[in-house]
Amino acid sequence: MRSDYLAVVFTAAIVLAGSPAMSGQTKPPSAAAAAPSSFDPHDLSGVWFDDRPRPLTTNERYWIYKFNAEEPPMTAWGEAQYKATKSSFGTRAYPLAETNDPLYHTCTPPGLPRIYLHPFPMQIVQTPGEIILLFEYDSIRHQIFTDGRQHDTALGPLWMGDSIGHWEGDTLVADTVNFNEKTWLDRIGHPHSDALHVVERMRRVDHDHLVDDITIEDPKAYTKPWSSRIEFLLKPKWTLGEQFCEDEESFQKLDQDAAAPAK
Amino acid sequence: MRNFELGIVLAFAMISVYSAPASGQSKNPTNSSTAPSSFDPHDLSGVWFDDHPRLITVQQRYWAYTFTPDAPPMTPWAAAKFKTAKPSFGPNAHPLAESNDPLYHTCAPIGFPLIFLYPLPMQIVQTPGEVIMLFEWDSLRHQIFTDGRAHDTALGPLWMGDSIGHWEGDTLVTDTVNFNDKTWLDRMGHPHSTDLHVVERIRRIDHDHLVDDLTIEDPKAYTKPWTARLPFVLKPKWTLAEQFCEDVESFQTIDQDAAAPAK
Repeated sequence: MRSDYLAVVFTAAIVLAGSPAMSGQTKPPSAAAAAPSSFDPHDLSGVWFDDRPRPLTTNERYWIYKFNAEEPPMTAWGEAQYKATKSSFGTRAYPLAETNDPLYHTCTPPGLPRIYLHPFPMQIVQTPGEIILLFEYDSIRHQIFTDGRQHDTALGPLWMGDSIGHWEGDTLVADTVNFNEKTWLDRIGHPHSDALHVVERMRRVDHDHLVDDITIEDPKAYTKPWSSRIEFLLKPKWTLGEQFCEDEESFQKLDQDAAAPAK
Repeated sequence: MRNFELGIVLAFAMISVYSAPASGQSKNPTNSSTAPSSFDPHDLSGVWFDDHPRLITVQQRYWAYTFTPDAPPMTPWAAAKFKTAKPSFGPNAHPLAESNDPLYHTCAPIGFPLIFLYPLPMQIVQTPGEVIMLFEWDSLRHQIFTDGRAHDTALGPLWMGDSIGHWEGDTLVTDTVNFNDKTWLDRMGHPHSTDLHVVERIRRIDHDHLVDDLTIEDPKAYTKPWTARLPFVLKPKWTLAEQFCEDVESFQTIDQDAAAPAK
């Protein structure tokens, strides 16, 4: 519970501190009735933010730490890995000081697809041959090459993987491989191996809404491919802030806050 | 000397390993007589790489660790700070294990303008209201708002600062403030305070070449503003690779390499 409480504090602090443009955004984010109706479905550019219903209890907000409410279909290897993790989220949350989450205490990159679970804005920029997702959290980028190139296995195991994409009608299909296995798949400790293969189907469903249907395939960790839908809302007045995982400092501060009496 | 040698090894390793498309780029990067002559001077987009002369001795390659061959005009406050720095580069180089460079051993963000001294490619992408530099090293970005906004002091002290820009003819003039004082200004340990103010004059002088004239002003650290010129060459066939500072691991590897007999 301490960690759940922390998560709330952390998220609130992030939203207030990291996105100054947000102040004054008090109406429900799904109230987009006045949105412009005309848009180019192949133009995904803009600042986007998680479009989940709020507020709910922390335990209901599974999407800040895992992709689906139900458990993914783990292999025996996947189960064993998962059992050894000490996440700071969810029903079996550990205090931050005891977690073995690879992000805490070392600030290693969150990797893909975990970056989608960190509740910060994301900006998409497009060039003739690339679609680039810039994440506020830790200055991470997810660079998808749409110039027709193939995967380059010489790139070696990567934190964010090697991503290529193409358009199928109005859907951008992104295919990512060449992962290292130093990251958790999510923030609760579900594992992945270096055989991880992530397919994203991104579609701008209307002017203000983007969905990313993610399919996760990893025969070593999961018995079958499974998928999750991530929904985003356009934030035309927002810009990305700076939000680095500053070695241990931010987490030490959180630990101190957690140790202080509740207000 | 040991560290000078490391510097070379590291720079070459990065170029050959992390910029895969670089292979085959054996001709002198300044030899651009066949470059297209037509270009839009307000279009800075593309992948750019340091265009300082090569094939000279390491001692002469000051741009791997500082901005100018001459010492900047330090105040007594700055001179005292500089004296306590134990850099791993330059005439006062220490072994990595003894260095107190804030980047080593913690992988804190590099900050601005220090990021320009890391010998890895940089990509510029432009949107209607922004010019964004994406750095290969540590996925950093230097996001310059060109939409007419003023500085936002509410953003608080930042690692990369708060950057706004406007065009003066064919020169993009950027202005960056709101820095924290956790980073060194360069890799030799020249300091800066939270009063750091960086002005860049960025100009595409021909199709293949970009110059960034930096003016560094920090009344607490320097007795007067001083300038440095950073030359870049376009690398049309390159794309950014992934190059994260992975906490202590990468530096431990370097330390081990340093302990091995010189080849």
